[in-house]
Amino acid sequence: MTNSAELVLDGLARRYGSTTAVARMDLTVAAGELVALLGPSGCGKTTTLRMVAGFIEPSEGRILLRGKDITTMPAHQRDTGMVFQSYALFPHLSVAENIAFGLKRRGVAKAEIAERVARMVSLLQLQGLEARLPKQLSGGQQQRVAVGRALVINPAVVLLDEPFSNLDALLREGTRIELRRLQTELGLTTLFVTHDQAEAMAISDRIAVMNKGRLEQLGTPREVYERPATRFVASFIGRANILVSRDGRSEDGIPLDAPDGTLVLRPERVTLDDAPAEGPNAVSGTVELLSFLGTGTQAVLRLPGGRQLLAEGPASLADRFRTGGPATARWTRGDLVALPPE
Amino acid sequence: MTSLRTPLGWVLRGMAVLGFVYLLGPLLVIVAASFSDTGYLAFPPQGFSLRWYQAALADQRYLNGFFVSLRLGLMVAALSLVIGTAAAVALTRFAFPGSTLLEALFLSPLVLPALVLAVALTLFFAANPIAPPGMTRLVISHLLVGVPMVLRVMLPVLRRVDPAIEEAARNLGASPIKAFFLVTLPVLRPGLIAAAALAFIFSFDEVEMALFLGSVRDAPLTVVLYGAAQMQMDPTVAAVSSMLILLALLLMVAQQMYANR
Repeated sequence: MTNSAELVLDGLARRYGSTTAVARMDLTVAAGELVALLGPSGCGKTTTLRMVAGFIEPSEGRILLRGKDITTMPAHQRDTGMVFQSYALFPHLSVAENIAFGLKRRGVAKAEIAERVARMVSLLQLQGLEARLPKQLSGGQQQRVAVGRALVINPAVVLLDEPFSNLDALLREGTRIELRRLQTELGLTTLFVTHDQAEAMAISDRIAVMNKGRLEQLGTPREVYERPATRFVASFIGRANILVSRDGRSEDGIPLDAPDGTLVLRPERVTLDDAPAEGPNAVSGTVELLSFLGTGTQAVLRLPGGRQLLAEGPASLADRFRTGGPATARWTRGDLVALPPE
Repeated sequence: MTSLRTPLGWVLRGMAVLGFVYLLGPLLVIVAASFSDTGYLAFPPQGFSLRWYQAALADQRYLNGFFVSLRLGLMVAALSLVIGTAAAVALTRFAFPGSTLLEALFLSPLVLPALVLAVALTLFFAANPIAPPGMTRLVISHLLVGVPMVLRVMLPVLRRVDPAIEEAARNLGASPIKAFFLVTLPVLRPGLIAAAALAFIFSFDEVEMALFLGSVRDAPLTVVLYGAAQMQMDPTVAAVSSMLILLALLLMVAQQMYANR
């Protein structure tokens, strides 16, 4: 990966009346990098993507693509290739015609169009389907046509708007690995909108976690998981127990060996046993729920103070404990990750 | 699915045949009577003659009426298409307060008997002579039904079309105008043709409003036919009717063939 900035969002903001959809967002995407915009619905991630595509006019700030200010450029002059959540395939055009659409608009010679469409068709394994209409394709095939149509024009930046959300779970995983492979191979600079944190973790170089129009944290998947910058990030990426520590105790009285402040305790760092809780970083409670996850078992522990503490362990947890019975949760000082003061 | 070979299947078949006879029988009677070699309408026809067709085509009143109806139908179809499609776009693409109520209001003329509309419009034009009697009044009146007809066809068509396709076209380098002509229009075309055909046929076949609001000099074909049926009732009326049936049939078949292409 080179470090040249392909796409720069500089203080980008969008307001609708008194509501702020996106608040002064700064983001730089390097050439060949895949950055995910991750957040719950209404967090401003799609608005940001649509501002880059040119479908929404920013209220403030600038968008630079390959060093050129495109903030006020009409959508059709921008060098972006977008994959829509609904795929938005042209229903009256064949697969080949759909893929060729952008090349024709760019005045590419006929022979070259045919060649590039054929290459994209084989790259996406759509051979034999060239003459089909979109309605004659399966969901997965439609998704691949949408991807091919956006990639064939070789855009400066690829914009993905929840491209996997209309696929079933099994197909979704295969497709996202395939897309990541294609993106790395072709060195495509990509901005990827999703509300699915597992999806973002799986294929992104960096994740921009958004909430209520704000960029909460920007970092690699490991950074945002292991060193969340805010309480929101900690609970949105993976699952988290959040403890507010003060003078060696949490707000609900759990003895802690930790500095004062807000602490994140990931469920997989919590171990369960049946010995009594003694000293700091241990607490007893009642097992409220045991769920078998396949790779392990998740336990929900109800503490005397009312808190639900999440713990994750091996599948054998389900044999050692029973719902309604007692259990003691333990962790070490190193398992507690302090959030920066807000 | 019930197999057509079971007893119930035979009953269903019989009912379907009865339904078609009931719907199409009167048309067959008219067509058959038009070939009758008698000076009055007769069924079953006696003899075979094409002279009533000759008489119809030679009659200036019918010919004139046909061209008045044609002009009327084309104008109503074109205007209904523009107004109805614009309204359908507004109702499907933008959510605004009262849009559901507006939609119901737009469609309501379809459920009124044409005679009620005709009487109401006669009273309206008498009090507000905003347009001279004749063609203009008729076009305005027919739009009351033509626009809802177009709306009725275009609302579901537009609801099925993904609004993102126009954005996709722009994203791929088509200007907004190009995107409209390359993507939106071709996608809507079958619906637009069906809607226009419906509005045209309605206007062309309409009697009540044409009787009440048309001018005597430029009477549409239906009014001429109505007059002839009351006055003389010779097989010319049947011959003209048969030709109208043939025209409507051709239009519907052409539209279906285009839609299924």
